[in-house]
Amino acid sequence: MSFGLFFCPEGAGETSRFPGVTTKLDRQEEVEKLENNAEMYWTGLSPDDAREALVNKDKSMRDKRMTLKEAVSQFIKDGDNVGVGGFVNIRQPIAITHEMVRHGFKDLTLSWQSAGMGPDYLAGAMMVDESHFSIKRIELAYWAHEAFGLSPMFRYLAERGKIEIEDWSNYNMSARFKAGAMGLPFIPTRGPLGGDIASSCRTKIIDCPFTGRPIALLPASNPNVSIIHVQAADKYGNCIIRGTDCTCAELAMGSAHTIVTCEQLVSHELITAAPKEVGIPFAAVDAVIEVPFGAYPGACRRHYYFNGDHIKQFHTGATEMCKGGSSDTLKAYYDENIFGVETFDEFIAKFPVTKLMADQKAESFNCERLA
Amino acid sequence: MTASTDYTAQEIIVAAGAKVLEDKKIVFVGTGLPMVAALLAKLTHASGLIPVFEAGAVGPPLSVGLPISVGDSKTFTGASYVGGLNAAFEMTQRGFADFGFIGGAEVDMYGNLNSTMIGDYPAGYQTPKVRLPGSGGASDMAASCERTILIVPHDKRKFSEKLQYITSPGHLDGSPNARFKAGMQGKGPYRLISTKGIFDFDKETKRMRLIQTFPGETVESIQAATGFELLVAPDVTEFAPPTVEEVRMIREDIDPLGAFVKRA
Repeated sequence: MSFGLFFCPEGAGETSRFPGVTTKLDRQEEVEKLENNAEMYWTGLSPDDAREALVNKDKSMRDKRMTLKEAVSQFIKDGDNVGVGGFVNIRQPIAITHEMVRHGFKDLTLSWQSAGMGPDYLAGAMMVDESHFSIKRIELAYWAHEAFGLSPMFRYLAERGKIEIEDWSNYNMSARFKAGAMGLPFIPTRGPLGGDIASSCRTKIIDCPFTGRPIALLPASNPNVSIIHVQAADKYGNCIIRGTDCTCAELAMGSAHTIVTCEQLVSHELITAAPKEVGIPFAAVDAVIEVPFGAYPGACRRHYYFNGDHIKQFHTGATEMCKGGSSDTLKAYYDENIFGVETFDEFIAKFPVTKLMADQKAESFNCERLA
Repeated sequence: MTASTDYTAQEIIVAAGAKVLEDKKIVFVGTGLPMVAALLAKLTHASGLIPVFEAGAVGPPLSVGLPISVGDSKTFTGASYVGGLNAAFEMTQRGFADFGFIGGAEVDMYGNLNSTMIGDYPAGYQTPKVRLPGSGGASDMAASCERTILIVPHDKRKFSEKLQYITSPGHLDGSPNARFKAGMQGKGPYRLISTKGIFDFDKETKRMRLIQTFPGETVESIQAATGFELLVAPDVTEFAPPTVEEVRMIREDIDPLGAFVKRA
């Protein structure tokens, strides 16, 4: 970290015409104290590094279509902090996680508010073969499946101490992504206060300088890369999201890189017919891949509802491992559904057409509209 | 209104939860039984209830059925206003949420909830005995909705003298103005519904107080199943069992697939 640009002659003190420039950071020992603050560390990019990454990026409106394989190998690296889009099992970037598993990564940090199948697929890969895929750390509010139960993957890894955990709340993680998107190092929120979350994470609670009451400050989250599935996008990366926005826009805007899969790749003219509907702008996106059913067996508004049976089936092998059983069932699932196929299309092709149609029909009941 | 003689523990929770909800109020609805209760309330005495789901849907009619996730497509159809998580939680901080309706795995006498871990905190934080899902939005609702309604299945281990981890803050240690001093907003836990009865929280001490027993339970049987000393209201009454029609609605109209209300 360099403060050279802000150097002021000794003695300029607080009388400087630029008071923000002449702060205690001029004193070398104070700078060192900041840099060595044992309580604070950035697990993705620091706010300054996130800014630098964006400044140096080609932000032109260019064709960003590529294969998932290309996107994953080009934009994700070992040790990265990966921001996971969606919410529980809604619009989770499942196709991207499958491709990440095929590729193999080490020591990832994963950040999300509430998630289900996305981290399940990544964690299950670690349970099957830690030398091929590993997660070092998670920053989260919730990892389970609501009506479809707990995540046996989370239980397995957490209860055996295999991953570092940092608990937050849904709003905490959302606000951290928002701070990242706002170009701020932190954001004040009305929590965590009063419980144990505050001591599980890097929150700092201060007395508000304006009201005097305690308030929580949350460090921004600027992931190295975000993985996001949306309903529609153009080849430049302009995205339209239906149903919950989750925190996908904040994630995309705050990350150094963003990989987007979409149900439907459409023309730039159609995407921009109603510009206010564009939830993520092209400049925040690095790769666009059309992947129908890209959030399946989770749900995607206007396209398909949950396939709860498959979620449970996927969990069977992990549940056996939680109870001390072997990895055979889970490994067989991965061999058949992920390592045994080249692309996500081949995974989807394993489902009976009647089942896919039933899940589409269930969703068309949820949001009835003319064809 | 014939009283049902064939209902499950979850069904009476849902019926009680629905009755606690007031018409024309904004309620932030957490996942699980609160969603079933909100829908029952909307279909019975509280057609003007305004449910908000933390993934961003405000005031949906829920006319396409029970959502099985708080981000479910069913929460968005017909909603008056939709955004994402930040938009929803900013509303709770601002004071738009009259009620928050949440569940937890473990509760103490001050209505603090645990949904994070069973084990030794902080020493065993990174190696919990049982890892639970985590806060989700529950701690946000607990911190910033004006009042909260809690659902916790009743047993001695779950109604605990000391929580292993406080995920969602209630009345903290019960001391005067504890929530305000901690920086929180809202009045905190208002009602708790268990599988055995309904509780409020004493005005002075903020301790959990039994106000209604479910059929088949007594003050003594409920105290015996509670890991701390309960306060008891002077005029404890028996909560009327759900009606045959309410049970039918839960089973046939609201949760026909048993997503949250299990038949067993």
